Amino acid sequence: MTIDRVSGSALLLLGLFVVWERRVLPLGTHGQPGPGYLPLLLAILLVLLGGLLVLRGGGAAPLRTVDWSEAPHAVAILACTVFATALLERLGYRVTMVIVLGFLFGVMERLRLWQVAALTLGLSLGTFWLFDSFLRVPLPRGGWGF
Amino acid sequence: MDVTLQNLILGFATVFTPVNLFYSLIGCLIGTMVGVLPGVGPLAGISMLLPTTFGLDPTSAIILLAGIYYGAMYGGSTTSILMRIPGEAASVMTCIDGYAMSQKGRAGAALAISAIGSYVAGTLSVVGLMFLAPPLARFALGFGPPEYTSLLLCGLVVLSYMTGGSVVKNLAMVVLGLMFGMIGIDQMSGYFRFSYGLVALGDGIGVVPVAVGLFGISEILATAGSPDRKEILKPKFRDLLPTREELRDSAKPILRGTVLGFFIGIIPGSAHIISTFVSYAMERRLSKHPERFGQGAIEGVAGPESANNAASEGALVPMLALGVPTGPIPAVLLAALMVHGITPGPLFIKEQPAIFWGLIASMYLGNLILLLLNLPLVGIFVNFLRIPYRILYPTILLFCIVGVYAVNSSLVDVGIMAVMGLVGYLLRKLDFEIAPIVLGVVLAPILEFSFRQALAMSDGQYAIFFQRPISVTFLGVALLMILLGLKPLIWRTGKDWRDRLTQAEKSN
Repeated sequence: MTIDRVSGSALLLLGLFVVWERRVLPLGTHGQPGPGYLPLLLAILLVLLGGLLVLRGGGAAPLRTVDWSEAPHAVAILACTVFATALLERLGYRVTMVIVLGFLFGVMERLRLWQVAALTLGLSLGTFWLFDSFLRVPLPRGGWGF
Repeated sequence: MDVTLQNLILGFATVFTPVNLFYSLIGCLIGTMVGVLPGVGPLAGISMLLPTTFGLDPTSAIILLAGIYYGAMYGGSTTSILMRIPGEAASVMTCIDGYAMSQKGRAGAALAISAIGSYVAGTLSVVGLMFLAPPLARFALGFGPPEYTSLLLCGLVVLSYMTGGSVVKNLAMVVLGLMFGMIGIDQMSGYFRFSYGLVALGDGIGVVPVAVGLFGISEILATAGSPDRKEILKPKFRDLLPTREELRDSAKPILRGTVLGFFIGIIPGSAHIISTFVSYAMERRLSKHPERFGQGAIEGVAGPESANNAASEGALVPMLALGVPTGPIPAVLLAALMVHGITPGPLFIKEQPAIFWGLIASMYLGNLILLLLNLPLVGIFVNFLRIPYRILYPTILLFCIVGVYAVNSSLVDVGIMAVMGLVGYLLRKLDFEIAPIVLGVVLAPILEFSFRQALAMSDGQYAIFFQRPISVTFLGVALLMILLGLKPLIWRTGKDWRDRLTQAEKSN
């Protein structure tokens, strides 16, 4: 399978999914288009473009040539972002960031303990002060008020 | 002319307050830092720092953000010249002769010419912006929904063609972006669309989480774990003075690059990158010694750097006058203006002259600040390059999270950023351009509104788009671009400028 055929198939399926999901939205008429009118047009266009990629993508690079060497790092970073999304308001900004940065600096990058502590605390507390206290952009505090 | 000068005086009166001068200075410094640091482009930089402007009045906020924008465009050249690593894609051409000059011990002169060229181009382009935007806005006041629909379609198609890579893939990304922009409450009927019960999605997907996810997070995902950069040259202040001959050789390339960059900048797509290619090719063609190019020719630095900066400001013409951004960075700037209650478009210049002319005046000032401060501070900026990437990327991640969260105090936005980061990472791996998605998200509500209004005006007759001269002209240009883009699918063609553009974007 080539890159273009895989991505074209994905776009085609996404287009079909939107066509299916659009069914709950009124189409309206040509003179008074409803909320489903343009999404349907766009979904059809995406199906066509995806189909074109599938048809013409035979000469593209094979999918196995894609280099995924950074994937372990990418998964860890993405997991940290999901963790922050889930717990930022429950644990508070400072605690969440201490955990996220501590993991990235200490576990992923294996910095020395004092470096991890200095960077983690400095960045977490420093950005909290900058945004929340200095710029008055409220950041979440956890259940302990911290 | 008198009115323009009076307005400019109004702008300078707005800017020349200690507070606004301070924000212009801070914006330029942060922007240069953003441009120098790998992994933080101007787009992610502006998006991440948008919340820091919330406490400011709109004029100060715009001055700060504009400073970050052109500071970042300037900062990209530093890494190109000293390390042969383009800080952003528009600096690719500067790498060739800029780095060759560094190897010959002329890094300081290359940096100085780059700064002087950026200053001249920036300042002259502001003059162009000042004279071109108001009449364009007056012209656009006559646009109805059909003209706006065709203009937006034309812009999106031209963007797909002018961005590197496959046109089919780029068009698919535009459509994907427009589809993301359909999420949320339909402004004409009140229906919730594709929100799956999440009330927070009612307002739709914001451009900031999309931009930070696609450009900030996906960059971290793609580059974390890579080895640190090579040795960095650090020029001394006394080396920064170019010789008389270097100054003389640079003068005409700077002027040519300025004119070229400004007009190319108005076109949607990767205009600032294209302008550097065209400028480099033109200087090489015009040179009496083309063999010097690639070996450290000062014209190869002066022309592209001027063109790049002129294009950045040319891109603001359609954004300010028509409310139509031509690329992802103006799109984020547009979103930033809207956060501050300012809607760029034909009425913006007329109704909020203090802000528009304040922005123009701040650009004159910003260009001067960049010239006066950045050259002496180049040694300090170079030190930022010494920060190991394993320390830098968690810091960037932190700023991405706090920047996106702070816009609406919404965790859903942080979640959208994470999803967009993953989408952007996968799309990069599959050779897709991600810039059209951002533009699609920004333009979707405007496009849908004008499209449905136009159909309502004509009682459902699509002929309305072909009966009005301005509308049909825009559609004609769009059709031409589609045909040009599809040409490689029909005929086998050799490598052209679009392939070089793709290579430049990948090399960044």
